[in-house]
Amino acid sequence: MKPRHFAVMVLALLAAVVRLPAQQPTVPSISTTYDNARTVKFDGVVTRIEWVNPRAYVFVDVRDAAGLVLNWAVDIGNPLELEMDGWKRNTVRIGDRVAVEGHPSRDIARRAVATSLSAGGKRVFAPAARRAALVAAPAPRWPDGQVRLGPAPGKKGYWAATGVRALVDSTAARIPMSDEGLLVNITDADRVAPFQPWAKALYLHRQRSVLRDDPLARCLPPGGPRQFQMPNGFQFIEQREVGRILVLLGGGNRNWRVIYTDGRPQGQPADVVLGYYGNSVGRWDKDTLVVDSVGFNERFWMANGGLPHTEALHLVERFTRTDLNTLRYEVTVDDPRTYTRTWSGGWTIQWVPDREIQEYFCEENAESTFER
Amino acid sequence: MRRAVAASLFAVSCLALSTSATAQEGHPLSGTWSGDWGPAANQRTHLTVVMNWDGKNVTGTINPGTEGTPLGSVILDVANWTVRIEADAKDASGKPVHIAADGKLEDISSYHRTLKGTWQQGGAKGDFKLTRD
Repeated sequence: MKPRHFAVMVLALLAAVVRLPAQQPTVPSISTTYDNARTVKFDGVVTRIEWVNPRAYVFVDVRDAAGLVLNWAVDIGNPLELEMDGWKRNTVRIGDRVAVEGHPSRDIARRAVATSLSAGGKRVFAPAARRAALVAAPAPRWPDGQVRLGPAPGKKGYWAATGVRALVDSTAARIPMSDEGLLVNITDADRVAPFQPWAKALYLHRQRSVLRDDPLARCLPPGGPRQFQMPNGFQFIEQREVGRILVLLGGGNRNWRVIYTDGRPQGQPADVVLGYYGNSVGRWDKDTLVVDSVGFNERFWMANGGLPHTEALHLVERFTRTDLNTLRYEVTVDDPRTYTRTWSGGWTIQWVPDREIQEYFCEENAESTFER
Repeated sequence: MRRAVAASLFAVSCLALSTSATAQEGHPLSGTWSGDWGPAANQRTHLTVVMNWDGKNVTGTINPGTEGTPLGSVILDVANWTVRIEADAKDASGKPVHIAADGKLEDISSYHRTLKGTWQQGGAKGDFKLTRD
């Protein structure tokens, strides 16, 4: 084969491979996967433990009424959150007898998400486990007095544990919804955001189909405000000497985003290469980092629950660290092709002290995990 | 020569695979749509329709190029995801021909949603199917 032909084949193969992850349906949302309206309860012997991101699994041999032994895959949640709750990968060991309560998979036999798991009569897992209270302290600062978005020198930590995991218009009263942004009452859709008719219809479609088509489930990056709704947190790396701040994401395939703080002007949407995280420039307004972003592609949902947007999306985000443990995130959404007016929302994010973001890859939990 | 053809086919296949993995999650009609229309299964005419949502209207072109036809109007009824497309084209002799298509969007959240329905072009009638690239 001539080198020219070989080069064409290699380039074409690369083009395909680079985009292949988008085709892999690897991490459906919890609501899509499990049926909260049904419960299962069983006990059996642990045969395998998959301590992987984004979801950890315990496999349990369960003997049914006829004496047949069937192996169940029990989803016990995100390992990073489990560790924050005091779990360790050896809290349950192979051979332990466990009792499980949870919700079954909507369409996969012998798979469930646990709401409780007990070993030796002692409850060792419950999602709502209380976490240790944080020690109050003022926000750390740079020598010139500017607030630090990261840890103080010699310390560790990152941002996670958002109190709210959905973006809604701040003019609305509290709207009941799941962590994934699924409305408890679909009639609340009008209060979530000032949708154009097509956008509301699309949002409702996504809600009614239980977020089945979420791009995040195909391991596409969580662009826009959604990057700060990921369970695995994020970290700011302030590179003051070069005038930029890196946002390292714990979720979304360890993506990173650059916020330029060197005074460069914002580009026009038509001039920038469209991406998942947009083109961001930032400036400090006292203790608040104000970030202006344009240049978003349309390949992601910008928030949990399926909020739509177009390439016209313009975000202004405000990050205010009020103390060591608290980061207030506020975002103004300007997308006249999707919404009838500019609107704002936000939430508070907590500091996770003395820990680093752990390795996370969306592509884990592939179907091979469940072969049994 | 055969190797050159094989390499080219391989390249086209790979690129097709790569483009099929992209998705647009914005306005349901925005993007490039490919398909055909015709009065019967063995009488089909290729169609490429490019549509763009500007915040108020859907604009675009049927078969973009030197003989492309600008879309006259595109109306999306979000209550049932039906679409009406109208345009004024010219036939081979340069005579004006009105195009009117009524279709329904299916799988609106999928990578390759489809638009299917009836297509009328001048006196000719048939069905059409478009799939978003």
